[in-house]
Amino acid sequence: MSQEASRVGHHVTGVRPALDELSVTWQGGATYNDLHVFELQEPTRVIEWIGEKSVCVAGYENSRRNEILQLLLPQKLCVKEKQGLCPERDFKVERGGFSDRPVYSLRHVPDTSLLVTSGPPDSSLQVWQLAAEDTGVIKSVSTIPTGNDSKKPWAKIATTLARTSCVLHGSRVNNVQITEIESKKNIYTADPTPKGQHLYCQSQWLSHVQQLGLVVLGALGSAASSNSNEVSGLEFLDCNTWLACCVKGQLCLADVRQPQSPLGDTSVPSALSGEQWCMGVSSGLQGSDVNAPTIARLSSGGQLTLTDLRNIPKPLKSARCKVSAASQSAEFLCVSWAPVLDGCLAVSGFNGTVHIYDTRSWPVSGGEAESVFSHKGHIFSGMDNSSDFPLVTTHAWHPWKPRMLLSAASDGSLHVWDWAESHKDS
Amino acid sequence: MPEIKVTPLGAGQDVGRSCILVSIAGKNVMLDCGMHMGYNDDRRFPDFSYITQNGRLTDFLDCVIISHFHLDHCGALPYFSEMVGYDGPIYMTHPTKAICPILLEDYRKITVDKKGETNFFTSQMIKDCMKKVVAVHLHQTVQVDDELEIKAYYAGHVLGAAMFQIKVGSESVVYTGDYNMTPDRHLGAAWIDKCRPDLLISESTYATTIRDSKRCRERDFLKKVHESVERGGKVLIPVFALGRAQELCILLETFWERMNLKAPIYFSMGLTEKANHYYKLFITWTNQKIRKTFVQRNMFEFKHIKAFDRAFADNPGPMVVFATPGMLHAGQSLQIFRKWAGNEKNMVIMPGYCVQGTVGHKILSGQRKLEMEGRQILEVKMQVEYMSFSAHADAKGIMQLIRQAEPRNVLLVHGEAKKMEFLKQKIEQEFYVNCYMPANGETTTLFTSPNIPVDISLGLLKRERAIGLVPDSKKPKLMHGTLIMKDNSFRLVSPEQALKELGLGEHQLRFTCRVHIQDPRKEHEMVLRVYNHLKGVLKDYSVQHLPDGSIMVESILIQATAQSEDQGTKVLLVSWTYQDEELGSYLTSLLKKGLPQTTA
Repeated sequence: MSQEASRVGHHVTGVRPALDELSVTWQGGATYNDLHVFELQEPTRVIEWIGEKSVCVAGYENSRRNEILQLLLPQKLCVKEKQGLCPERDFKVERGGFSDRPVYSLRHVPDTSLLVTSGPPDSSLQVWQLAAEDTGVIKSVSTIPTGNDSKKPWAKIATTLARTSCVLHGSRVNNVQITEIESKKNIYTADPTPKGQHLYCQSQWLSHVQQLGLVVLGALGSAASSNSNEVSGLEFLDCNTWLACCVKGQLCLADVRQPQSPLGDTSVPSALSGEQWCMGVSSGLQGSDVNAPTIARLSSGGQLTLTDLRNIPKPLKSARCKVSAASQSAEFLCVSWAPVLDGCLAVSGFNGTVHIYDTRSWPVSGGEAESVFSHKGHIFSGMDNSSDFPLVTTHAWHPWKPRMLLSAASDGSLHVWDWAESHKDS
Repeated sequence: MPEIKVTPLGAGQDVGRSCILVSIAGKNVMLDCGMHMGYNDDRRFPDFSYITQNGRLTDFLDCVIISHFHLDHCGALPYFSEMVGYDGPIYMTHPTKAICPILLEDYRKITVDKKGETNFFTSQMIKDCMKKVVAVHLHQTVQVDDELEIKAYYAGHVLGAAMFQIKVGSESVVYTGDYNMTPDRHLGAAWIDKCRPDLLISESTYATTIRDSKRCRERDFLKKVHESVERGGKVLIPVFALGRAQELCILLETFWERMNLKAPIYFSMGLTEKANHYYKLFITWTNQKIRKTFVQRNMFEFKHIKAFDRAFADNPGPMVVFATPGMLHAGQSLQIFRKWAGNEKNMVIMPGYCVQGTVGHKILSGQRKLEMEGRQILEVKMQVEYMSFSAHADAKGIMQLIRQAEPRNVLLVHGEAKKMEFLKQKIEQEFYVNCYMPANGETTTLFTSPNIPVDISLGLLKRERAIGLVPDSKKPKLMHGTLIMKDNSFRLVSPEQALKELGLGEHQLRFTCRVHIQDPRKEHEMVLRVYNHLKGVLKDYSVQHLPDGSIMVESILIQATAQSEDQGTKVLLVSWTYQDEELGSYLTSLLKKGLPQTTA
């Protein structure tokens, strides 16, 4: 509620441009190959792919029942090559369900018909089943409780194809755990008791590097306050290693087989404290080195840092995004790597825009980064006459169409766009 | 228990051939009488034998209502009224009445003249059928008979499209037909008041669809037309003559004006011209903007769009042509298509749904070699594009309309049942109503608890208000009166008025109670003591000592009798009418406690 209010306050002087302005840009610039504008009944902050033909979205309203929808992509946006006609350009609601709590995070468990969601007021997980074909209903299956500490923030979730019976979740680095979905059995917990008060020394990291082929950094001890190790993102790297990004910016890497070492990096990429951070992990599948995903971290101040997991303390590159105003809250911060376009990433959460950057062109210690493309559609999409600009809540890349993204905003708009490569950067 | 029964003969869990039977308070109404564009056999028309096996339809149906002029809503009408036989009233709006026979005639021509079917309705039958039609205005309450009334609301789907409220007594049903909740270039949005019907029957064509914005669709449409014209190609847009054609004409006209384009735009003579004529005629049915600018400039009088002549198709250079029919199954659009199909520079844009078996359907499903009449093979090299511009309510629109009308039950038709379970749950949970989706031939019965209105006489109302202290309109209030049921109406009046009206004498019911009081004094002294005591206790009441020695408290009479043998005991008779029961009982209990001793 307060976030809502502050957002309104922040943009209260903004005047929404006339709707026709955008259509002029479209005709003039011809910057899109495809642009489809949809309006959801309630805004979503999750866009999760279910296979290659559908996505899940869900409401995040606090005060009422929220919907979880599985939307079938328009045929036009799923076909590989142009074969005949694709008359359909609309989303179809394939399945739907109702959640009593807001959905802040939603993950599909690969190879199954299960969804796992989380959201306030606590860190428990909700498990859902995408029901058999013709009923069209998403059914609640179970809840995975995480103790009765109601002060815990909502849980971040990760799933992996390598371990489809399990879900990785947690709200703070020291309560990250892996739970078997069916039995609700907890099969791994990051060590909750604080270990050393100091960082591992350099030589120790290196031994870990040799041991795991990965860089792991100092233990997270009691030195870090409970707030500072709050997690903003979680990801499985393979079936045994996971990576967390803390709200304060630290990366934390752990190996499930060594339960005594939830290890982290307390070095914040930039000296700026008070900012909040999120991360995006490159899938690494199309890259040259499968074992070395690149981590992009984005701060609420617009700082972008790229890190190679083999050398966490020394960022590969960094740059500053052009953001007019630092994000009021990191609530919707989102950075993600393009699955096809090498070195490209998308950034959103500051305003109504999604920016695409090509990191290959960045110098090692870059200044301001120039975006390759900016999708401003959400600024214009709101049909209501409020002076409040919509804020992009999340975005997701199409799994194999190189330049296609889906993005959603706080006004309920959902856009699918495929930007045209300009001659300048080709 | 009163009930409403609904049986779809068509459009139950299906699109096409809309026809829904409704029984409400003993009245039978048929909503729409459509045909299925996908069939040529018996399934083309609804199965009217369901209504009656051997009797006359007129005896079973009180009226027929047609929501709009699309053939899947009115295409079976001449067959129904002239071939099966129905002579009762058929209701539709003025524009529907004007346009519907043109489309029926066009459809008849294609079926009989082109396809050579024989067992079909004739031109004369269409004319005879239309004679049975009663045209209605928006928001006009039409009395079908003494009890059944109907009222049309704006639906915004096509020109003249309406939603209908069907009402008998306090029970009512709203049928939406096809509707659109977002205004477009030439029509407004559907609207209904908070009429709280027992049942809302809503179409659900796009109930599970989240549509790409109209702006994006239009932009792509314009882009395609523009690109094609720029490279010197010819663009064919087969249209359904009425409805979306006008929307596209306005769109292209505006675009041509803005981009200063010179390529000619034509529309085929006949139908569309006639249609534009009707749009002009029924300008009040279009949207506000068109109505406003009508005086300065008629939106349907186009600067860039001219009438098409058959010879123009062979003219060199780019052009855009709107031609009927929309599915390329016959007529001018098919002729032009055959001429232009061989050139890859040309383009055909299908702006709507195509029925299986038509050329339109074939090219939309990717077929590139078509077998035409006389075994001739036509190779399609021109670009084929599809753009759906049909205007239906999506899930959001359906929810909006339910919110507007506040029905007690919802029934969905004109949509696929599969995938609708979620929408059903959504409606039930959000509005706490039941939601039904019957299949064709399946009857849904819902029980109603109708309110019975009762008139209260002014005298009674005034009297009750006089007694009550401060009238509070928000609180329910208990009233006493006499209910008179007479001449099919209910009235609540004062008992006096009821007696007078019904010529009855009044009977009085009195209670008399004996109260024994221990008092050795003389009778009149005792009465005086009682009087003083009551006067002291009942300060707010009128207490009188009458000359005959009795006491009156309001209308309650207290008398002393000396009949007791015991001198020390006196007997008081307390007497009150039934109406004063409360005070009478109170007085008796008061007196039974005896008199205070101190006054001695």
